[in-house]
Amino acid sequence: MSRGVAVTPRASRRTWLTLLTPVLSILGLLIVWDLVVRIFSIPKFVLPLPIDAFATIGEDWDSISRGIIATGQVFTLGFVIGAALGFVLAVVMASSKALFQALYPIMIVSQAIPVVAIGAALVIWLGFGLAPKLVVVAMIVFFPVLVNVLDGLRSVDADSVNLARAMGASRWRNFLVIKLPATLTPLFSALKMSATFSVTGAILAESLASTTGGLGVYLSTMQGRFNTPGVFAAIIVLASIGLVAFLLISVWESAATPWLRTSVVPRRRRFRRGTS
Amino acid sequence: MIAASVPKVELSQISQRFGEALALEPTYLSIAAGEFVAVIGPSGCGKTTLFNILSGILSPTSGTVRIDGEETTGKPGHVGYMLQKDLLVPSLSALENITLGARLHGRVSKQQREEAAQMAAHYGLGDFLDHFPHAMSGGMRQRVALMRTLAFAKDVMLLDEPFGALDSQTRLEMQQWLLRVWVETGSTVLFVTHDIDEALFLADRVVVMSPRPGRVSEILDVALERPRGLDVLTTEPFMSLKRRALDLIYGREPGNLDSSGSDS
Repeated sequence: MSRGVAVTPRASRRTWLTLLTPVLSILGLLIVWDLVVRIFSIPKFVLPLPIDAFATIGEDWDSISRGIIATGQVFTLGFVIGAALGFVLAVVMASSKALFQALYPIMIVSQAIPVVAIGAALVIWLGFGLAPKLVVVAMIVFFPVLVNVLDGLRSVDADSVNLARAMGASRWRNFLVIKLPATLTPLFSALKMSATFSVTGAILAESLASTTGGLGVYLSTMQGRFNTPGVFAAIIVLASIGLVAFLLISVWESAATPWLRTSVVPRRRRFRRGTS
Repeated sequence: MIAASVPKVELSQISQRFGEALALEPTYLSIAAGEFVAVIGPSGCGKTTLFNILSGILSPTSGTVRIDGEETTGKPGHVGYMLQKDLLVPSLSALENITLGARLHGRVSKQQREEAAQMAAHYGLGDFLDHFPHAMSGGMRQRVALMRTLAFAKDVMLLDEPFGALDSQTRLEMQQWLLRVWVETGSTVLFVTHDIDEALFLADRVVVMSPRPGRVSEILDVALERPRGLDVLTTEPFMSLKRRALDLIYGREPGNLDSSGSDS
């Protein structure tokens, strides 16, 4: 206990540093961008100053905020659906060798087909609504989650599973208590990776299957008008969406996997003698 | 006192085939309540097969397993089980790992938690109850693993080389600690090891097995007084038992050994 208290000040200073460092490095990136434009006198229609790009976000906030909502919806829903499908399928495939051998080739083929090609077919089948866009994003998230969760499930020591069996555990309990925790780290790796890919997926989907609304549409409109600050405004907003998603998943990961960072369980799980 | 006629654990004509290979010849073994029996033998002698059959996760090709006279062949959940690998769940605290058995059957009740914590504290784990396994030493982790086994089934415990991965000093500590646990809980223990010293130091009887096909070649009675301290390791009766065991395992005739004369 006393050791835990002694560690706290240093730990909290580290927390601040880990929060501050990325902010500083992104700020640095913007400064380099700014300097490059000024030093080489790059014209605004080739590469605008960061401040111009941010100004455009302010000016176009009406259409950009609508774009964030529309694209955010595609991104979030597609991400959740893809991740959930990937996870469930991994669990199903890990439960039987025959199922694994039957399904794995199909999964790989599904990834070998370019998403753009699938997207074109989806527009024909599903029209220009939300559905084809969700499918495109889900397809991007689905595969890394599937592969990583499968790896996690297969990394569990067979002796651990046998031990639980020897203790009379049902298959379900064995899965829940022994196997499920082993999927968390690889699952979160896949989610973090896909968080950034799926933004690309959402934009791609919008360019294939949208006429109004999203940031993808805003982006192509600006491109059509040779409005470079507008294009960069969209780029900044899109990058921010990916970044926020990444951060949210990282925070969730920290909360879900305390054993990777601390030596003692979180307070609510600690043992207190004789209390309610 | 349990009637001597009903052994705690009884294996009758247990044998195991994997395809063509005979992993275990028909084997009979009877263990009394509260007895500490060690099993030694080279790899491939069927120790692990014997264990898996006893724990119920493997159904033998023939024969029956009885615990307290009740048949448990192929039925898991009747005995505790522990391996050289501690197999602690990394995401659970020491206490949560100790109550794993209850967790695997649903919820861990408050009483189960209290009892497990009390037991763990009694055996020197009081400061580590809330620690994750990665924050504990190898010896501590094995203690947690043994507590998990005890909390699940303290009647009969199968320990498969539980201290095999520890350094020799920690191992000596753990052996004495295990004897204390065994005496205080009155468990029946079946203990597999490669280490003849360990087997003779701990056990009432040592089952010597030999490979291809796996079989029991001899059972040695270890008539050394208890409680045993480390000094027993250098006494003459211990040495002569050790010579006997070495000969059995490495297959020499015990011809020119000067035996203490009374071990048969």
